[in-house]
This record gives sequence, C-alpha cells and structure tokens, in this order.
Amino acid sequence: MSDSSRAINMVIAALGGEGGGVLTNWLIAVADQEGWLCQTTSLAGVAQRTGATIYYLEFIPRPEDGSQPVLSLFPSQGDIDIAVASEIAEAGRMLSRGFVSPEQTTLIASTHRVYGITEKSATGDGTIDPAMLSEMCARYARRFIQFDMLELVGRHNTVVSAALFGAIAGSEVLPFARETFERIIGEGRGADANRAAFNEAWDRAQSGGVGLFDPNDKGDSSGFVLPDAHTAQGRVLIERMRALPVMCHEVVYRGASRLIDYQDLAYAEDYLFLVEKLATALDSAGSVALTEAARYLALWMAFEDIPRVAQLKVRPDRQQAIRDEVRAEPEQPIRVTEFFHPRVEEIAAMLPKRFGERLLASETARSGLGRLLGPRKLRTDRLSVYLIMRVLARLRRFRRGTLGYAEERGMIDRWFGAVLWASARDPELALELAECGRMVKGYGATRARTTSRLMRILDTVDREAEVSPARIRQLREAAMEGEDSAPFEGALNQALA
Amino acid sequence: MAERSFKEEVKKLRAGDGERFQGEGILAITKALLQSGVSYVGGYQGSPISHLMDVLNDAQDILGELGVHFEASGSEATAAAMLSASINYPLRGAVTWKSTVGTNVASDALSNIASSGVTGGAMVIVGEDYGEGSSIMQERSYAFAMKAQMWLLDPRPNLTSIVDMVEKGFELSEASNTPIFYMMRIRGCHVTGEFVARDNREPQFSDRAPVTPHREPEKIILPPNVYAQEREKIAQRLPAAIEFIKANKLNEVFPGRHEHLGIITCGGSYNTVIRALQRQGLSDVYGNTDIPIYVLNVAYPLIPEELVDFCVGKEQVLVLEEGQPEYIEQGIQTALRRADFQTRVFGKDIMPMAGEYTGQVMLLGITRFIEASSGPEIELLSSAEEVAALETPLVEEDQQALLDNVPPRPSGLCTGCPERPLFSAVKQVQEELGPFHISSDIGCHSFATLAPFNLGNTIMGYGLSLASSSSVRHALPHKAISIMGDGGFWHNGLTSGVASAVFNHHDGLLIVVDNGYSAATGGQDIPSLVEPNIIASTIDADAPRRDDYQSIEEACRGAGVKWIRTVSTYNIEAMKNTLHEALTSSLPGLKVVVAEGECMLNRQRRVKPMMKSAIASGKRIHRSRFYVDPQTCTGDHGCIRLSGCPSLTIKDNPDPLRTDPVSYVDNSCVGCGVCGENAHSAVLCPSFSQVDLVYNPNSFDRAKDTLRQRVIAWFRRRDEQRMEAASL
Repeated sequence: MSDSSRAINMVIAALGGEGGGVLTNWLIAVADQEGWLCQTTSLAGVAQRTGATIYYLEFIPRPEDGSQPVLSLFPSQGDIDIAVASEIAEAGRMLSRGFVSPEQTTLIASTHRVYGITEKSATGDGTIDPAMLSEMCARYARRFIQFDMLELVGRHNTVVSAALFGAIAGSEVLPFARETFERIIGEGRGADANRAAFNEAWDRAQSGGVGLFDPNDKGDSSGFVLPDAHTAQGRVLIERMRALPVMCHEVVYRGASRLIDYQDLAYAEDYLFLVEKLATALDSAGSVALTEAARYLALWMAFEDIPRVAQLKVRPDRQQAIRDEVRAEPEQPIRVTEFFHPRVEEIAAMLPKRFGERLLASETARSGLGRLLGPRKLRTDRLSVYLIMRVLARLRRFRRGTLGYAEERGMIDRWFGAVLWASARDPELALELAECGRMVKGYGATRARTTSRLMRILDTVDREAEVSPARIRQLREAAMEGEDSAPFEGALNQALA
Repeated sequence: MAERSFKEEVKKLRAGDGERFQGEGILAITKALLQSGVSYVGGYQGSPISHLMDVLNDAQDILGELGVHFEASGSEATAAAMLSASINYPLRGAVTWKSTVGTNVASDALSNIASSGVTGGAMVIVGEDYGEGSSIMQERSYAFAMKAQMWLLDPRPNLTSIVDMVEKGFELSEASNTPIFYMMRIRGCHVTGEFVARDNREPQFSDRAPVTPHREPEKIILPPNVYAQEREKIAQRLPAAIEFIKANKLNEVFPGRHEHLGIITCGGSYNTVIRALQRQGLSDVYGNTDIPIYVLNVAYPLIPEELVDFCVGKEQVLVLEEGQPEYIEQGIQTALRRADFQTRVFGKDIMPMAGEYTGQVMLLGITRFIEASSGPEIELLSSAEEVAALETPLVEEDQQALLDNVPPRPSGLCTGCPERPLFSAVKQVQEELGPFHISSDIGCHSFATLAPFNLGNTIMGYGLSLASSSSVRHALPHKAISIMGDGGFWHNGLTSGVASAVFNHHDGLLIVVDNGYSAATGGQDIPSLVEPNIIASTIDADAPRRDDYQSIEEACRGAGVKWIRTVSTYNIEAMKNTLHEALTSSLPGLKVVVAEGECMLNRQRRVKPMMKSAIASGKRIHRSRFYVDPQTCTGDHGCIRLSGCPSLTIKDNPDPLRTDPVSYVDNSCVGCGVCGENAHSAVLCPSFSQVDLVYNPNSFDRAKDTLRQRVIAWFRRRDEQRMEAASL
C-alpha cells in the first residue's frame, strides 16, 4: 500500500502515563528509517493525568524530488486508516466520534479497563459493559484487533505502548518491515522487555487478536455442584441444601461456610433454616428471589463488628495476599499499618446488651470513653498488635449476647420478614425486597445511613398497601445515590403526593 | 523543574546553515528566533506555548553564548512590558503567552507599545488556545490586533513556513514600526516536521554590546503625542506594512484551473483546506489545486489590492476564517465593494460561526460551496449529503448505547496530589458549616469544581478569586471563601487580591494552595518554594533549594495580613481545624491559610532517582503504598467519592457472595497517605492499610521479621486445622 498520492492516517488515544508520546516517537523513527515522512501532532490538554491524549499521525513516502507534501493536522471522520485505543472504553469513544469507518479503518484496542470517575464513585456497581463495546467495535471497524495488552505487558514488566507498537506493526497497515520496528525498540531503555512485549503483540495482531469475541461467553459460573461433605455435621447441612432449588446452591453453600467461620455451626443452621422457610413460601418461579435473599442474608448475618474485623485482619492467608499485591520480594520485610477509628458506638456494640445500652445512655461514660478512642494506627505486623487482634477476634464467641447483635438481628429479621411476606404475594416483589439487602454497606456513619434508609423503605412497605416491585426498585436506586439524601427523600415523597 | 525536559532537544538549536532540523513546532520557533538575532525573550507559560517557555529555559546555555537575555516573566503584563526595549533601540525581541487570556492580562502594555511604535522588531508569540484541547473560554486574538493596530501573522502550519514567517515578521515589524502578533494554534505548536536551518545570529545589542541611551519624547504616550501617534498609525505604519507584505509576498496565491472560483483562507487552516480538496479530487497531496487559493499568512491587516487582484474574473469566493465575529470576511466585503467588485463572497453563511474548522467541518463547507457556486463542470467525489453522513457511521440505537457506555473522563487531580487532601478537608468542613459559596481560581485546583469534590462557584481569571469574592461577601451567610494557587498569587493575586482585600477590611478566608510550582502549566518554577511534605512515603528528600526564593507568608504580612497560618495539606485534621477556626473567628480582617504540599509530579521526578540510587547503594529505606483489604471493603466507594485519586480505583469483588466491585489501590500509588487520613478523619472504614516495603533490611529487621513469621506461621497452622475441623 505504498501509494504516494495519499497519506496513511492514524489516530491514537492513550491515557496519561501509558507512553503515548514514546509510541509516537517510535513511529516517527520507523517511518524515517523506511524513507517515509511522518507528521504528528497531539492534543495533550493540561498537565493532569486523568484525561485521554489524542495523537494524530500521517505517513507518506518521502518524495525523491524534495517536494513537501501538505499533511493535515486534524483526524477526520471517514479518513482514518488506523485507529488505536489503549483501553476499550476509549475505543468506544473513537467509534462515537466517527473515527472508525467500516470500509477503511483498522481498529486496534486493548480490552482492559481503566475506570472513569463516574464508574468508580457509584455506591454500587457503576461500571459500563465492555463486552457490548467490543461487539460494537467488531461490527463497525473494517478490522478489529483486540486483546488484553495490560495483562500482556504486565507479564513482560513494561508499559502498554510496547504492546500497541507490536499490534500496530502486526496489523501490517503500515507497509514497513517488522525488522525496522524491532530495530527502533533496540535503541531505548528497557529494550528487552519491550521487544518481548512487541513480539507477542505482533503475533496476536497477526492472528487478528486472540479469543475473538464470543457474545455468548459471559463467564457464567452456573456449573456449581454442591461438594461432598468433609465432616459429619457438614453432611447433614449439605443434604438439607440439596433439597433447595439448584440455582441457589452456590450462594447457600458459600453463605453457610461463611457463617461457620464467622460464628459457629449453629449460626449456619440458623441461616439455613431461614432460607428453607423462604424456599417453602416461594415456588420455582421465585428461585432468583430466593438466591438473592440467601446472598444478602448471609452477608448481613456476617456483619462487620470489631471481632469480625479483627478476625479478618489476622486470617491466615492475608499476609501473602498483601505481599503479592504490593509485589514484595520473597525475603523482603513489609510493615502493615491499619487505620482504625473505633467510636463509642462500636465499643458499645460488642458489650453485653444491657451494658452497651447503659454506656450509650450515659453522657459521662460516652465522653470518657470517647477520649480514649478516636483514630488509631496499628501495626498488625507487630506481634503485640497481632496477638491483641487475635484476642479481639476470639470475643466473637460472646457475640450473641451483645448489643450489636441484638440491633443487627432486629433489622435482619424485619427485612427478611418483609421478603417472606412478599413471597406469598408476588415473587417479583420478593426479589426487589431481597435486592434491598445490597444497600447494607459500610461502617460507622455510612452503615447507619444505609441501614436507616433500608428501614425507611420497609416503613413504606408497611404504609403503602399496594406497594409495587417498581416502587421498591425506585426507592432502592435513589437510596444508593450516595451521601446526599435529596434523591432518596424525593423518591419517598413522590408517591405520597 | 518543568514537567518536560528539552535538555537533549535544545542541542538541535545549534544547527547551522543547510542542516536538516527535525522537531516540534515549538522548537522550530525557538530556532527561528535565534536565526532572527533576537536580543531578549520572555513570557509566561500556559498551554499551548508552555513548552516554548520550557525550551527557552532549557536553552539558557545557547542563549547565553549568543548574548540573548531571557526572563521567565511574572505575568503576561510583565512580558508585554519587556517589549518597550524595542521602542527606542533597534533591539529585536519576542515574548510569548497563552491567548486570549494572556493577551487580556498584557493589554495595557500592548496598547501603549502599539501606540508608541517600535524601532526594533517586537513580536508576541500567542498560543491561540481555541478549539478541541483548549482550557479557556473561546475568543479570538484577532480583535485585539485590530483595535490596537498590531499585525497578526498566521502562517501555514509546516515548519518551513513557520520559521520563515518569524524572520519575515521581524522585518515587517521594523519596516512598519509596529509590534506583531505571531499566532500559533494548538495543533501547530505540537506538530512535528522538518526544515532547513540557517546560522544563528548574535543580536546587535546585548550585555557585550550595550546601546547608547537616548530619548525620543514623541514616543511617550502622553498627550499631545498620542494624537500624533494615532495619525502615524494610519498615515505611515499601515501603508508601510502593506507595502512590505506585498513586496515580500508574505501572502501566497496558489493558482488553479477553475478560475471562476476561489478560496481565501488563513494560513493556519491551509493544510485542512488542501486535505478537503484532495478528498474531493480537486487537489493532490502536494497542494496542486484545481481551485485557486489565496492564503493569508498575514491575517491582519488585509491587503485590499491583493484581494481585488485575486478576485478578478471570479464569480464566487469562499472565506475560511475560524471563530467569530467574522472580521476577515467583513474586511474582504469592504475591500471588494470599495473597488466595486461583484464577486459573491461566501463565508459564515455556509460555515459554522462558532468552533474549530476541523477536517470534517472544512470538507463539508468546501463541498457546500462548490455545490452552491458551480454547475456540473466540477465533479465532486462525494456530495454534501454523503459528506455529512461521514460524521458518524453509527445507527441511532448504537449511538445511544455508546453514550451510556463510554464514561466521561473529566480532568482531575493527579495521583498523590497535595490538593486532594485539602479539598477533602474543605468538603468535610462544608458538611458542618455549609453549604459554601466559593470563589475559585485558575490552576490545578480549578478541578475541585468538578466531581468528586464539586467545590467552587465562579472562576474570574488568574489570581482573581479573592477579588471576585469581594462583591458577594456581604451577602453570604458564611465568611467569604476564596481559593487561589501560588502561581495565581504571584501573577497578580497579591496586589489585586490580598492588598485590596486588606485595604477594604475584607474579613473572609483566602486559601493559598502552595505546591511550589506553576503546576497546571507543566511544573515551571515560581518565586516561592514549598517545604517538603511530611507524608507517608519516606524518602523525604531535601527541599528543592534556591537561595533567592520569595515567601508567600512574608508577602502577605507585608501587605497587611495579620491572621495567617501555614498548614500541610496532608494533615487533614489540622487543616479542618484551621479552616474551622478561620471561618468562625470573630477577629476582623482577612484570614490567609497557606495550604502547603509539594506538587506530586514534581516531587516524584525529584524523589524517584534518589530512591533508586539509595536502593542500589545498599541504604536501608522503605517505600510506602496503600492497600485496601478486599475482605473488609463492603463496596460502597465512599472513599472514592471523598478522594478521586487515579490510583484509588475499583476491581471485581473477589468475594463470590458480593456483587458490587471493591475499592482497590493500584500500583501507581505513591503512598501520599491521604487514604489513611480520610479513613480516619471521615471515620470511613477499617479497610485501608499502609504497607511499607523495607529495602536493604539490616540484621535487626531480619531477626524481627523471622520471629514474627514463625509465630504467625504457628498460628496459621492451628487456624487452618480448626477451620478444617469446623468446615462443612
């Protein structure tokens, strides 16, 4: 395609820190060595690191008579031969800006995600659907080369630009020899890692991107089979689970296991009893409601009080998980400082109910204790702290008598009672109420806010005789809009009017 | 130390006659200035010409060898005033800034120098921040050129034209005794290409060849001189300019075979015009066009004679002029009507009034023009309808799906930015004392007006937040709050803000965000320095040292401020308490809080190499980063709403029971400690940990670690057995 009458046009969208500038310089150097001219320009905007930088490149054979071609500085709809996106949502943005033409554009994208602030800051799950973007890119691009380049470069310990460079070369839209690309890599720092990433990306681009998108593959884990029991007590419980609809097996099994770890076998039996009760009330049309109710029941019953947090902080596999995450060398010592901020409420919650109530009722006791509490940094890698944590974790055996347990259990019973009540009327209503369990999140004031909103939804259920599933969904979604109470209050009042 | 170093690239500036020079537009301009024999250069950084300042800064050796004087000016007004050296003496000089904001700041000095007139060539290189990628309100510099009578150059965006036009521009300035605007558009600043270099020229006058001081009283802008100066502009300078532009063919005519049509374009848009014609089969890639084109490399003044000549025999012409109002089109209409030419002029009637002339806009406009003006004799490759359809190949349903699934990426604060904890603190104080009306300013801190902080009501200009609060303070239920950067403080906030506020008994709060640099424009140095922060990560290198720094606190005290506190932004509790005190204090007078924290980008550039060499040399150090415990995180993301740090993100929940993603700290974390501070001060959750990796541990570290590992391993075995026994 060395047509000297028209430039080959390329647009690259890269996020900050992904080496878009380096990639552009590499491409200029390749063109130069191949006897081509390459004009580039970029829109970097301000110095901040959160936005996408757009690079635009035009390539044309260097005229022998020294004349200067006139190249454009703007990427233009309908005039792009290669569009490159370092992340899949940016590929979607290319599409939406019209830089991908079905008859002309080869689109190269890494399928990994870099989440935007709106996705990150949602109270629940605000993430977009990348599979849908991949599907659309495949439909509109002349060719679509896609694979997870972040994973690839992670293995080679380099940055995404090296994989993009390989994919651009491997797509062979630019009529340049592979050796020229490789030679350019050889001149920089970290060349070996880059070359390895380049080679692998080249191969994958050649095969059109590996694992071509299959819209039916949603990574479903529906193949769960209840395992055989390890213990005698387990046998009894697992037999009881087998009587439940298959759909909820995984959740109930994991939920029961969680609660044994959280408290004891009796607690898990308690849980299973509630799930069975709901299963009886719901017919087979209610399996989804049953599963979701079982999920949130288990999570709520394993509520995070001080003993639970302490237990999680000393769990056996934690140390290794941290070491892996921070990429510590095998023998490298690490220190782990936890940020705790226990309030009087949390202390009261772990006291026997009567004492806890008395503590909360007494201003003197509250302020006295309050002075001792407050923000604490604790080094859990220190033996002393580790041992204190273990002692706190052991306090869980007294949990059933605590004030915290009484309060949580009261709310759990109220919510679960509502689900049970609804199951007799309408499985859809039961499902919406079950999903409300998802609202129970956070610690301290956040936790108080989320649970109190849930209780107010249950008040509405009590008050509005003909409450509909849509109404519950509306309230739940408004309640999950974050700290600001206006959307939730608005939704509550809407129906009153 | 600026964000981008040009230390390597500036070596190219030594290129001599006949050498091929390859590089960015900005570098080419610098080379052209040296080839023109400038005696002084100055300016104020701002996109898209920040790098011009960085290049000049990094090129001080070369400038010094030639005897070129360089200043990083305090503001655009400072820079504009530098041009006064060219009034009395044949000194060539150039200054640069971001336009139109910088031009506005500089306007007092500019008007005066334009009235006085110059002897030596005086050039203002304006980075025209218009269109995609811009960070300011959308206006043109053209209006200023017209009202002050300064010539405006807008060359074709290839390096050869760019360099030639700088050199010709100085000659034009001297031939017409008029200062010049040299306009660079965003994409032109960053365009790469090549040109054939010429030797650099030493300036005629410099520290080694001083001028002989002499006075020309008629050039001082007092009456009655000013009346004479205005008459001189019209009677002498303008005709001289027109003569020079014609004689030197600064504007270009490219003939084409369809002589009854014509396109008149500004130089900066020429490449886009050629691409559009090429896509319609009316030009090749070398600019051999079928439609005649008249290129205005000098956008102001227009040359009526050239315009009339171009229009001889033309039935229709299209004027391509970005932005509004359509001054050039109006000027062309006037010139043609005065000459009684009946050529039909198309312009803003078929082109968009507002916004950039992108490739698509240009293609559609030129297609419409040819369809409207010509019969079937010109065959187009695509009709206007087909061109319009190129805008997007997407069907409507897919467009909607993309809107829902492509998340916006608004600008935000960098990983570890010292301003993040400040705004977390303001947000927390607001919960108690708010809601707040906040006067914001220009700088990185402008992003506090966006999610997740949503703090700030108005931005009036660089360093003007305190000034803008003075009109609303009497009508607020709380003490007025203004936020200003250290860059804005020195730019003009000290005078128009602090001095005026003290004088007027303003009793509000001013927060000066002191990060040590002009950070938003690329981390250039400013008069003040910042103390190194005490933050979680250790290598707390020495402060960036400079003996001649100026202190913000002393400047405020000198301006009469009595209540002033300096607080590290990373100490959220202390910041909250200080802000609370300032907002509730009954003491009269302005309260200034200097919120101190070194720009993290600059800090990392400083600290990373030190960290590397310390590890390599066997020194015992530790590096911090944060970690979210996925087992205790419940996925409500309150921490993210309070922070917005790029390294604090989310990932799939590893807990199969939970469905919402958990918060997650990725490996770009620099260990600034804000996550922990927020977890404490907002009483968030027990999920955050600070992990310190110890490098080159000593034997005591190792012994402690071994003991701990053994004890923990013993417990782990016991725990595992118990869990096994209790499992299902």
